[in-house]
Amino acid sequence: MWNSIGLAVCGFSFGMLAAGGVFTVLIAVGLLPRFAGKTHTANHIFLYEEMVVFGTITGCVLSIFQPELGLSGMSGQILLGLYGLFAGCFVGCLALAIAEMLNSIPIFARRISFRHGLGIAITTMALGKMTGSLVYFIGGLFHE
Amino acid sequence: MAGQQLTLYMKITRNVEMRVADVHLSDVARMICTDQTVVNRLKTIRICKFHEGEKRKIVTILKIMELIQEVYPNLTISNEGEAEVVIEYIPRPDHVSALVFLKIAFVSLISFFGTAFTIMAFHNDIGITDVFSHLYTIVTGESTTGVTVVEISYSVGLTLGIIVFFNHIGSRRITKDPTPIEVEMRKYETDVNNTLVDTGDREGKIIDVE
Repeated sequence: MWNSIGLAVCGFSFGMLAAGGVFTVLIAVGLLPRFAGKTHTANHIFLYEEMVVFGTITGCVLSIFQPELGLSGMSGQILLGLYGLFAGCFVGCLALAIAEMLNSIPIFARRISFRHGLGIAITTMALGKMTGSLVYFIGGLFHE
Repeated sequence: MAGQQLTLYMKITRNVEMRVADVHLSDVARMICTDQTVVNRLKTIRICKFHEGEKRKIVTILKIMELIQEVYPNLTISNEGEAEVVIEYIPRPDHVSALVFLKIAFVSLISFFGTAFTIMAFHNDIGITDVFSHLYTIVTGESTTGVTVVEISYSVGLTLGIIVFFNHIGSRRITKDPTPIEVEMRKYETDVNNTLVDTGDREGKIIDVE
């Protein structure tokens, strides 16, 4: 009995701290304000926060309890497709937002006195990420 | 006018969105003066006009002061607000609901699936099932049977942590503070406005005195 209570207290505080850590990073890179600013929907920011909350809870349940959803047909494929597409968007934004937060782009641009063609640089960066991702998955790099 | 020296206190805002092409002083500034007729007259001064295809103009306080002095040369002007104002022209407010709805749905889906993926990747990265099963064995001396009390309490803790962090359940705030994303949103808007002013300044596209 006492063991279970001890474990429950541990698990609870792990969860609280993990939430704090994960979201401090997410807030610090300022991804959602940028989405809301770009789409001029800043008045719906509560909804976006809600989606962040539900998304995290869903991800937590999926990866901790690993339930079998049993969506074998088309619906499973569609759900996976949606998951992949939007998670990809998010990670792509997150990667560049972190690069930007660390000021690597402005510093590089200044060092090599880079004034024009920032758009091209960003496009090639995106293409590079896509190539890298495809090489990783198709080339089977994750099998070691 | 000539007898006594009047002072106009004005506060210009950082950013305004216009629905009509003509921008008047009353759109960008709030003013007080002991003589109310001065304020009423000044409110009608036209600052600039958007032509076809123009979307954004930046006007400095000096230009506004110059325009005021053309009407009241002897007026003392004290600006309590910003040094420049960013004026954006949006002729049709996007109440074209289908597009707005799509945008909102898109951002919501990214937020939902993106954060679901991040937390799953984080759990995978730290090998959370192994950590928890080791912990379970250390504490109870038994090997685990899948879902244990740690996993459940962790999930509850994570959920509570998020709610405390974001400071709201549904659309109800827990305390009166703004949520972290609201704070970041305002910071981001300030940064965007400052960048617009700085870029305009560098490219000489600001409406300023000669």
